[in-house]
This record gives sequence, structure tokens and C-alpha cells, in this order.
Amino acid sequence: MRDDLKVGVFLCECGGNISDTIDLDKVKEELDVDFIGQFENLCSLNGRKIIRDAIFDYDLDRVVVAACSPISHEKTFQDYVKPLNPYLMDMANIREQCSWVHDDSKKATNKAISLINASIEKVKQSDAVDPIYCQTPDEVAVIGGGIAGMNAALSLAKQGTKVTLIEQSPSIGGHMAKIGKVFSPVKIAEECGMCLLNPILNELVWNENIKVLTNTKVIEAERRAGTYNLILEKSPRYVDEDKCISCGKCAEVCEVEVPNDWNDNLSMRKAIYRPFGQSYPESYVIDMDNCTKCSNCVKVCSMKAIKLRGKSERIPLQVGSIVVATGHKLFDMEKRPEYGYTRYDDVITQSELGRITGVNGPTKGKLLKSNGEVPKRVVMIQCVGSRDEKPDGHKYCSKICCTVALKNANIIKHKYPDTDVLICYTDVRTPGMFEKYYKHTQENEVRFLRGRPGEVVRKGDNFIVRTEDTIKGEFVEIEADMVVLSTAMEPSKGTEEIAEILNVGTTEDGFIKESHPKIKPIATDVQGIFVCGTAHEPKDITDSIMQATAAASKVGEYNYGGVEIEPFIAEIDTERCIVCGECIAHCKYKSMSIHNDEIYIDPMSCTGCGKCLIGCEQRAIAINGNIDEKIKATIGGVLSKKQKGERMILVFLDNIGYTAADNIGVNRLSYPESIHIIKVISVNRVTPKHIRYALENGADGVFIGEFPGDLMYDEVERKIQGVKNRLIELDEDPERITFSKVYIPYFTGLARKLTEFDRRIAELDGK
Amino acid sequence: MSSQQKISDSPINFAEKIIEDVKNSKDEGVLKCVQCGMCTSICPAARHSDYNPRDIIERVLEGDESILADDNIWNCFYCYTCHSVCPVGNSVCEVNQILKQMAIENKIGYDKLYEYMGFADSYFNAAIGAIPEIFFKDIDRDVPGWWDFRLHLDEIRNELELDPPLMPSKETIDEVSKILTITGFKDKIEKIRASQEDYK
Amino acid sequence: MKVVPDKDLLLFRSCLVSVEYPGVEASTKFVFDKLGIDYEISDKQTCCTGLGHYSDVFNQIDTSAIGARNFRIAKDMGRPNLVMMCATCYAINKKSVKLLNKKDDLRNHINQLFDENGLSHFKYEKDDLKPTENIYHVVDILYGKKDEIKDKIKYDLSDYKIATHHGCHYCKVHYEDTIGGVRDPNIMDELIEECGCKTIGWYDHKRATCGTGFRQRYSNPDLSFTATADKMNAIGDEDVDILVHLCPNCHIQFDRYQHLIAEREGRNFKAIHLNIAQFIALAMGGDFDKVIGVKAHTVPIDSIIKDLKEVKK
Repeated sequence: MRDDLKVGVFLCECGGNISDTIDLDKVKEELDVDFIGQFENLCSLNGRKIIRDAIFDYDLDRVVVAACSPISHEKTFQDYVKPLNPYLMDMANIREQCSWVHDDSKKATNKAISLINASIEKVKQSDAVDPIYCQTPDEVAVIGGGIAGMNAALSLAKQGTKVTLIEQSPSIGGHMAKIGKVFSPVKIAEECGMCLLNPILNELVWNENIKVLTNTKVIEAERRAGTYNLILEKSPRYVDEDKCISCGKCAEVCEVEVPNDWNDNLSMRKAIYRPFGQSYPESYVIDMDNCTKCSNCVKVCSMKAIKLRGKSERIPLQVGSIVVATGHKLFDMEKRPEYGYTRYDDVITQSELGRITGVNGPTKGKLLKSNGEVPKRVVMIQCVGSRDEKPDGHKYCSKICCTVALKNANIIKHKYPDTDVLICYTDVRTPGMFEKYYKHTQENEVRFLRGRPGEVVRKGDNFIVRTEDTIKGEFVEIEADMVVLSTAMEPSKGTEEIAEILNVGTTEDGFIKESHPKIKPIATDVQGIFVCGTAHEPKDITDSIMQATAAASKVGEYNYGGVEIEPFIAEIDTERCIVCGECIAHCKYKSMSIHNDEIYIDPMSCTGCGKCLIGCEQRAIAINGNIDEKIKATIGGVLSKKQKGERMILVFLDNIGYTAADNIGVNRLSYPESIHIIKVISVNRVTPKHIRYALENGADGVFIGEFPGDLMYDEVERKIQGVKNRLIELDEDPERITFSKVYIPYFTGLARKLTEFDRRIAELDGK
Repeated sequence: MSSQQKISDSPINFAEKIIEDVKNSKDEGVLKCVQCGMCTSICPAARHSDYNPRDIIERVLEGDESILADDNIWNCFYCYTCHSVCPVGNSVCEVNQILKQMAIENKIGYDKLYEYMGFADSYFNAAIGAIPEIFFKDIDRDVPGWWDFRLHLDEIRNELELDPPLMPSKETIDEVSKILTITGFKDKIEKIRASQEDYK
Repeated sequence: MKVVPDKDLLLFRSCLVSVEYPGVEASTKFVFDKLGIDYEISDKQTCCTGLGHYSDVFNQIDTSAIGARNFRIAKDMGRPNLVMMCATCYAINKKSVKLLNKKDDLRNHINQLFDENGLSHFKYEKDDLKPTENIYHVVDILYGKKDEIKDKIKYDLSDYKIATHHGCHYCKVHYEDTIGGVRDPNIMDELIEECGCKTIGWYDHKRATCGTGFRQRYSNPDLSFTATADKMNAIGDEDVDILVHLCPNCHIQFDRYQHLIAEREGRNFKAIHLNIAQFIALAMGGDFDKVIGVKAHTVPIDSIIKDLKEVKK
């Protein structure tokens, strides 16, 4: 029946680009179709009328445009074939892959005939399918209320997007609220961190597009066609945010004192407390783990804002995209016991030093030891837990610790010029403008010793820091009365948890992995989920803010643009499917999930690779658009025009490989005429059955190319090896099949590989 | 002091040799050294002698093979503290053992083994590891009552009801001697012994 | 936590234990029996070569070939789990297993030598033993049975000030596989706690070497004893009564040479030295002469432990 379909072929001269090499009259003679015409410039606006008229006049069911590459003009001609369905048209690439790569007119003409015939056979197998449009809801969840999350939320809100900012602690603000002073490389000075944070915080609080949920965590997430359904869990605050006026009377009468975690446990707070002066929401909160429920606070609260009973609340949230800004935590010093952090009060971390020197900290900004005296010598130890491959250590550099140490050393020197500050370092890493700050620090008489200390011990009233001065080549014991450890940044617990819940990839170090460091440094490997701040990798405040605003921009592209998707993706036959979940396990692109007791396929991430078919014992999955038959028909179409003695090699490439092949033509390089390139949506769709069909029907060789960055690369490589092994069993030559890496820019390499493969096949035939 | 590096010099070869040594368990660890000095900061030998583990690696990476003849390498305690903390995954302790085996292969280190030939003998002839008799005099001097204790060892062991006896069977000894012959141990010991004769 | 076996063990005899502190072996057996641990000793097993190896007399091929023979003996007995009383035996054997598994050249070389010389029955096949699953120190085994120690304690030693000296070759050589910490080793502190006692925990130089340094003690005594003095001074400063060991070589360095170092340092050191097995055996009621083997000790045990009081049940 498909053979009865009326096919029209439109040959484009391309202003001589094609017709100078290819004898189009000969082409017309060789092809048996219902309509065939030759035109000077088919892509011009005039082409629309020519094609449409012919479709009506000749009652065409299918159209083949033999012209340039589909990469450049497929969209144009899909439009020009209206009222036909766009997927009933196919392009034969007789320019980039024929007239531009071959000089011999006769051979090029023969090849063009084969290519066009392949397209004719292919369109006969094409079905009318509609492209899938996805429009994501213009609502975003930003997870994590630190400086990165706050900036991402604010930037999105200002662009008109509705944002829910989700923070698991009782206040937004994150680490930046704690660190006291911050440093910017341009002004060689330390500035008040809170003063810089506060305006952002205020702006965010007043922005109507932002809803802030504190004490809240994401506990479940599910993705459907560009929409994420999140389930949030909001723990009770026990104090009504709307009623509380932060008068603090409750805390005055509270009997319970516990270490104040916001002050790195260097001071005490009550069980009812406000995390810090500028915390948002501006409301007290009860730490129920420590509350004795004595009710003193309830009695004293004039606003009647306190309720000692409360339950966690589950909140569903539907968003179009997600920004992960779940941040970092600091290295656990119990893992490096030799530095004595857990044994001695005056061995502290840089974070604690930040609290101690902060005016809103436990000592109101005075640098004091645990005995109340100002230290005489502070020794700082760098790279604690960073650049350390030993168990529990981190191989990476935490990036900010050098500048943090310089900053804190300067703060000490400003206030206490008589206190000696010595920084023990392996390398001082102050790239770019930060180098000037390093020099400034040296001018402030901060001292530096190149060596990585081995241990800190107590001797009498002081500590001994044992290290080598590697420049002198001498072992030294340095007396100190305060030791500050520059601890590594590592992924926060929230970062680990959210990676698991959202199913986004992480690095070997547990940070959220970007999709690609150059092409997509903000996207994750799951579409519609973006990352910023220290959840991604160690970085400073400036870099976190830049990445946060970039994330906002990427969310914009994604949410506003809408996405049109080629419909050649997997489809489930729900009658057959038993929802065993095998396909979910097989899918490398994480496109499959269970929804309402059915397998749901996300059209935005499915590539139509067909990997899921293998696991499906019910044979309940198909790839839309008759893909298998089209590939088979294309192969048959090429080979049916094979002439006696002609060598024919079939090359299967997906979009990336095909673009590389086009580039060969664009750059006017060449490869043998035996090479016939077939474009497929995924090389994984080329099955062993196809390869055998090709070899049995006259193909002399089969070349399969794949971009190594494709998630299916290993799979395809294994599969091809399997086909080769099968050939060996059948006593045929496995050398007739080859698998190769392809890269878009490395088109010269592809031309060379194609040429070499042709030569190898020629040698095989010569035997 | 100044030195030159000729275009034809290949300092990395020395480190490569160490990496390829059968004893090396740290892959390319030695190449990753950044001279941070953490090894030296916890090294008992660096604390009390001129031995400096960081410097050992510096010289290895410079391709300075004269280190094989440097007496300092023999000061390492083999305490493995450097090995257990090295942030880049090197082990000076292991590198040192490899250097010493190289020194022995080159015969530079023979004289360091003269005092320890007793280990070779007791192992080869009796399949046991015993403190070489050459040191007994020192021990007797330094440890009051030790000699007397050793004389009564059998009685003490009897009281503790320990068996089997200290001496391995003849079959076991033969097997061990054979193994140590085919690995080249016996030859090496004989060569060292010969050089010891010359030395005297 | 890694799983530690309590059966199919070959208790690997140690040269130094045998001739210097035989009470360590008797105590280990005593405690193993009390805890129902299934072990045997082989008279075919030979010394690990450790003392000679770390004096640079044996190279890795010599040591691993000897190791291959001992591993085969263990496997043939159906006791593939080697448990060592000496830290050096532990490090040496674990390294040989690692290298024989990982380095095909070494394994093939040794197997070829065996084949060519009628010793094929000693050949080692890749992964015959696994370093983490088959090679243990006595402390590992005791740690695996830690919860059962408490019930078997007869004497209360909690009045003594106790510190631990963890042997380098247990903790640091195969640090990825050490129970109870490497940078602040604590496996023995935890075991002692199960005996109802508390150790002083961390002290200066806690993780440092005993100072033996193999050849250093004999060829370089000044260097050796200076390093020992670092540690002994720290232990003296903490007023420690009992220093607990897990390696006979460290044990020698402290027990045999305590007088000498006291003289060098011009101060008195009072600590007695017990192996962890001796300590637990003592707490479980082991006899001084028939189990602990106190006659082998240079610093008299009764200089500190004068009488024993039973625990109140």
C-alpha cells in the first residue's frame, strides 16, 4: 500500500552549487516518481509556491527535496510542504555530502541518484506525526536560601517569574550572614558582610513574586513534561510569624540554654530564639528538641504568637524549573584529630574566627582566647581537609581558604597590631586581583611560612605547632596561643539529599555536577534543573552571585521559550505494559518514571534511542514515527541503485556526526564517492538487524559514528562489538563494520577516517 | 651554588624507575609531590637527625642518583607516619626502601647489611627470624637480666604450655632454603659476605 | 564497620613473641578461648621475614615468595584467615597479598620460580587471599568480639592510669584498612574500655613510633633511643602506670630499654608494659606465670600491679 503513495521530487540547482557537478537531467531520467522538477533556488520564498502547487496538481502524498543539508534547511521545507504534514518530507543532501565533496561528475551523479532514491524509499515509510510542544509553567523553586539562592530568586522575580524560595533552617541568609567581614579584590579592604547582604534580603522580602518558606525541605520530586511536582515539608516554628513582633520577652524568660549554632556554638542561646538580628522571617522560633514546654514564653507573649503544639505540614508545589542552591558545609575536624580541634578550646576554625571577630559574635568582635586574654601569636594552618587524598579528605582545593585566611589575618592585625599572625601554607592561591590583597597582607606584617604542619600539641600554657619550614628545609616547633584551621568546603547535607531526591548527577566529590563545564556550566544533567553557588563546587560570594544570576537567565530561556520537540520518541502501549519498571532502569536520559500507575515518558529528555526497548519483555514500547522501517527503507533505497562493481559504504550518524560530515563539505574537503551517509535520530536505533540487512543487500561496509559525550556511547560501542562477534561466528569479516568517535569540529579527522575505511574495504574486496 | 640542566637530561627517569619498582604501592604518587613538608613535620628521623623526607623526594624528582650513596637515607625508621598522612598519596617511607634496595643492587649499600647477616643465616639455615647474635653483647649490656631470661626461655614456655617448639622441622627448613635460593637471596648474601671479607 | 571473622583463623606465630614475650601467645590463646574464637597454629608456618625485610636484607621478591608459601599452608589447612600477634607480620603479609594480587609480573615471576624448582604446590593464584578479608591483627579479631569481653572480666584494673601505644605497622602501613583511627589510633583504647577501664586517650606523640626503627635500635642507638625518649617522656608526664602494646617489637623497645632511657633522660619511668592480649587476659583472670608470662618482662609487672581486686558483679 505504501508503494502506491505518490511521491514528488524537487531538485534544487542551488545556483550551480549542485547542478555544476551533478547532472540533474540524468537524475531525472533515473528516478521513477509521480513528479520530478528542477529549480534554481528552491529555498527562496518562491519555492513555497512551487512546492505547494505541485502537491495540489499532482496529488502528492510525500515529498523529497534534493538540495542542501537538512541541518540548514529542513525547517524551511517542512514549512513549504504545508498542507502536508512536515514529517512526510525528507531531504536528500546532495550538496554538503555530494557536490561539495566530489569532483567526478559521473560518480557524483550516481551517488546523488542513490541518495535521492534512499529518501524516496524513506518517505514512503513516513507517517504523519505532530511535533510536541512543551511549555513549562513560569514558576520556579529555588532550593536553598543562602546568598546564591537569594540572588537567583530575586533575579527571577524581577523578570516576573513566581519564585518559591525554600530554606530548611529558620532564617534565610546562609553562611554569608555569619562570616562577619567580606573582602572584595578591587577595594583592598574588608567590608561588613551583613551590610551587603541586608539590602538583598530586604528587596527579596518585599518582592511580591517571591514566597519564602523557611523550616522547609523538599522531600519528594517528580517530573512530567517540563513540570516538576514537588512535595515540601514545613516544620512548625511554634511562633506565628505574622503575630510575632520580635520583642524578645519570650527568650528572657526561657529557662533552657543551649549552644548557639549560628555562633558556631561559641555562645549560648535559649530554646526560643531568633537566629540573628537581621534574620528573616522576623520572628522567634522554638528549638523543640531542647524545649521543656515550661510555657513561660507562652505566658509572657503579649501578642499570643506562641503555640507549643504544631505539626509538620506537607505542601505540594508545581514548578517549571528548579534552581539548586543548597550550598556547602565545613570539614569535620574530628577527621584530622592531630590538630587538636576537639581537645583544645583555642584551636578554632576560620569560620569560628569570623564569629569571634564579628561585632555581632560571642565576644562582640574582640579577639579573645578562652581565658579572656588576647592571643600573642595566632598560627593559621591552610588546606585542612583540602588537597588531601587521605581517607575523609578532599582531593580538590577549596579555593577560598587562602583569601579567607588573609582577610582574617588582616582583621586581627588592624585591631591587634601586636599579635603575631603566621600563616602556614603549601601554596598561596590568590589568582587575579586577589594577588594585590596578598601583597597588602604582607605589608600589614602578617607572616608566612611555607610548610604543611603535622600536628598541634599543648605544652604548658601554649600550643606547639610542628611543621617543616620547607624553604629553609628545617623542622620547627612554633609556639602559639591560638591556632586557626582553614577547613575544607564540602557539599552540605542538603546538597547530598537534594541530589538524591531530584536524581541529578554529582561529581566524585559529591557536588552537583554541571551538564558540561563549557557548554552548560549551570545546567545539571536533568533538564530544567539548574545549579548555582557552593552546591556546585567551592567558590566565593562573588562567584556564587554571578552563577546565581546566570542560573536565573537560563531559567528564563527555558521557561519563556517553550520547546518544540521532534516526536520521534518512545511511546508506551499501556495495554501491554505491566509497569515492571525495567525501562526506567535502562533509560540513560532519566526520561521515564511511573505516574498514576503508568509509565510516563518525558518528551523533553527522551532521545528516541530505544534503549528501553531491550528491557521490555512485554514489547510494550515503540519509537514513534516508524523509525526502524524508515532506516531499513533508506538502506534499501541506497543499495537498490548500486551499480555493478561499485563500492557502497553506509555511514550512520546522528545529529552531531552528521554536522561534522556537513562541515567536510562546507570546507570543500573530500572523501570517496562510496561513502553514503544516513542520518538517524540516535545511532542506537541502528540495530544489528539493520546492519545485517545492509550487508546482505550489497553494502560493502558499515561505519557507525558516535560522539563520545553521548550517554549511549558505551552502549553503542558494546553493541557494535557484539555485531562483529556475531559476524565472526558466521564466518564473515568483522572488519566490514567499524565504530568511530565523531566530534563536530574534528571534521578533517572524520574525512580521513571515512577515506581510510573505504581503502580498507577496497583491500578486503581485492582479496 | 649553581647547576645546569642540559637539554638531553631527563631527570624524571629516576622517579620512573621508582614507580616501576615491585615494592611501590603508590602508583605515580612520587610524581605528585608538592613539597608541602607534612612528611618532615611528623618524621622522627627529621626531628633528631639530618634526614629530611621532603628533601628525599625533591632529590628523586631532580634525578639526583647520588642520593643512593647518602648515609641519611639509612636513618628512616620505617614508621610509615609520612606514608599515612601524605596529602598527595606519595610514600617517602616506601621510596626510601626502594632507594636502599637500589643501593644494595649497586653494591653501594652492602656495608649497611654486614651487621644484619645474622638475619639471613637464621632464616636460611633455621627458617626463623632471630636477632643476630652480633648484637647480643650490646643487649646484655643494655638490658639487665636479658641473657639470664633467654637461658630460661624453655622453662618459661613450658610453664605457659606453649607448643609447637621453637625450631621448625627439617622439611620446613629445606623448603625455605630452597625458596631463598631460587629468589636469588642466597647469591646476594654470598656476594655481600665476600665483600665483607674484603672490607675486613 | 568491616566484618571480622571469628573462625577459620590461623594464629600466625611471631619470632619475637616466641623468644621475647611468649606470654603474649599464651594470653592470646587464653582470650581467644574465652571468647570462643576458632583458631589453630601451624608448625609449618615460618617467620614473615619482617625483621630482615625492614633491615633491608630481604627484598620484596624474597619476602613475597616466603609469604606465598605461608599463604598456601593457611589455605590448605582450611584456615584462610591469618591473624597476627605482631604488627610487622601483619604489615608484611598484607602487603605481600596486595602485591601478589595486583602485580601480575611479581606473581608470575614467583610462580615460575616455584614451577621450575618443584615447588608448584606453593603457587599463588591471583586473589587466593584478599588483603582486607583474610589478613588480620589480633586486635581486629578482639574488636569483632568486643561486646562479649565485658561479661568475662574478673579483675578491675580501672584504678591504674593506662595509655596505649599503637604499633605503626598495624595502624599506618595499610591505613585504609585500620580499625579505630590512624591519626589518633584508638582500637586498643576501645578494647580497654570494654574491660571496664578508661585510658588517658590522646597524649603527645601518641601516634609516633616506639623508636625501634628496625636497624636504628642496633646500628643507630642514639637516634633510636632519642625517638623513644620523646614518647617515654610524654608518657612519664602523664604519670602512666600501664602502657599497652600490640607489637612485640615496640614492647621490647619500651620494656627492655626503659632503664636505659631513664638513665639517658635523668628521670624515672615507672610504666609497666603489657600487650593488649596480656592486658585483657589479666583482666579475665589469667595467671601471671601460666598465662601472662610475666617472667619474660624486664620492668616487673608487680612493680605496679601488686594485688588484684575482683569486679563487683
